[in-house]
Amino acid sequence: MITFEHVGLRYGIGPEVLSDIHFTLEPGSFHFLTGASGAGKTSLLNLMFLGRKPTRGLVHMFGQSINGLNRAQLCVIRQKIGVVFQEFRLLPNLSTLDNVALPLRIAGRPEKEIRNNVNELLEWVGLGEHKNALPLTLSGGQQQRVAIARAVIARPKLLLADEPTGNLDDNIGFRLMHLFEQLNRMGTTIVIATHNQAIIDKFGHPRMILDSGRLHVEEPENWARKNIEGGC
Amino acid sequence: MKKPLFARFQKDRRLGVSEGKRRYDLPLTSGAGTGFMVLLIGLMTFLAMMAIAAGFALNGMTRHWTSSLENTLTIEIPAARPNGKIRDSAEITALARSVAQTLKNNPHIENLEVLEAEQISDLLAPWLGKDVTLNDMPLPGLISVHLYDSEPETLKALTSAVESVAADIRIDAHERWLGDILRLVRTLELSAGLVTLIIMITTVTAIMGAVRSRMAEHKDDIELLHMMGASDMYVMRQFRRHALILSFKGALGGVTFGTLTLAGMALLNRSAAQSLLPDFSLSGLQVLGLLSLPLAVCFIAAMTSRFTVLRVLSRMP
Repeated sequence: MITFEHVGLRYGIGPEVLSDIHFTLEPGSFHFLTGASGAGKTSLLNLMFLGRKPTRGLVHMFGQSINGLNRAQLCVIRQKIGVVFQEFRLLPNLSTLDNVALPLRIAGRPEKEIRNNVNELLEWVGLGEHKNALPLTLSGGQQQRVAIARAVIARPKLLLADEPTGNLDDNIGFRLMHLFEQLNRMGTTIVIATHNQAIIDKFGHPRMILDSGRLHVEEPENWARKNIEGGC
Repeated sequence: MKKPLFARFQKDRRLGVSEGKRRYDLPLTSGAGTGFMVLLIGLMTFLAMMAIAAGFALNGMTRHWTSSLENTLTIEIPAARPNGKIRDSAEITALARSVAQTLKNNPHIENLEVLEAEQISDLLAPWLGKDVTLNDMPLPGLISVHLYDSEPETLKALTSAVESVAADIRIDAHERWLGDILRLVRTLELSAGLVTLIIMITTVTAIMGAVRSRMAEHKDDIELLHMMGASDMYVMRQFRRHALILSFKGALGGVTFGTLTLAGMALLNRSAAQSLLPDFSLSGLQVLGLLSLPLAVCFIAAMTSRFTVLRVLSRMP
């Protein structure tokens, strides 16, 4: 699904914020991406949703190298990826319904299908009453749910989420995590960047840990053992 | 309760609520400068309409003069002899008839007409008025001649023919003064074309600037659309539609104002001294051409926005 080979990223002439990133995500896998603030989580997600090209190394996604792809080819790949941004990035002029419908409209789906799917999903995430509301009138938690609904509406093959439960109470947070699990069971590969230890512990998926721009992956049994050894 | 007809298209003005058909993904209608853009395009369209209308009118004048004076000449029997002595009307009439007789069977002449005193008075009426009595005024004799051709050899042969009647009889082939006037009119026509071109370039530049500034304003939103897999064409269509709508509004306003101005000018022209100048009125086709100006403006706006957006997007990551 996704392979990073010795990938590095730097902004301008600054130091490398990601160094020698090397990993493979199998189709249908579920990973948490963790690390201290400034460790490079958002930068790594940026590379994964093709917001940036790496300054070195190779990236393969969905069976093709992205290094040599042109803009039109990148669009096709991006349509397979759903992203939940930390700052939501909802379009302020669009209603909840239109914001969520955006990936389907971009993909050129029929309007009737779009309305049916979006209405159903909005009811599910508890925003059915707010489908005509503009983002500015929604609370932080509601905006986050809109952002999540937008990311999952087109049933992406890869879902990337940057602190998706950050502004939500535990109840809604866990409910949305179950939505992600459900998507994962349907074959979507998921990477969630989060600091929420409760969620990481509860769902027990492998962790991709970023430390000073370097990445290592830990399987649940390893960090469970570490926690026991460390007395947690 | 029954939903009103067209409810789908009604905009709900309640704060924070958006209903009805989605217009743009990007918030293009809410930014500052939209009204200015409409006004600018309106003014440009108005100016273009005036310049094109002037071009049409000048072209009409050129055609009128060239067609009505082509292959014609006027033979003038001067009212005064070369020694300054005034000829009486009987002598002028006799000379005119003599010239007519000389030229009657000339193969280059289609027809000729000796103008009577009343006809000459009519010609002078725009300058002197109709009430002036010309009986005591020394007037030249005039013969209007229509030729089959106006080759230099023909004019040379005719000149020697009339000079055989009296050496001071002159032939006016209109070319000298008509040539000067036509040169002036064609220069004005060219200027009108140049003005139209400058207006077009200014409009294109203004649209390019507006599109670029809008793209800079909504850079993050455009990036977001790209992240969701939107192609450059998808983003371009949003800007093109916005530019089209603004241009159509502006151009429609400009053409309406222009039509009223031209109608007012036509009314004023009708009451002016019509006999001195040819008719300035526009043909149906020309009016149709002017009224279709909004379509041309929309086409320019669509092409400019398309080119600008795709060019800017190609430089984005």
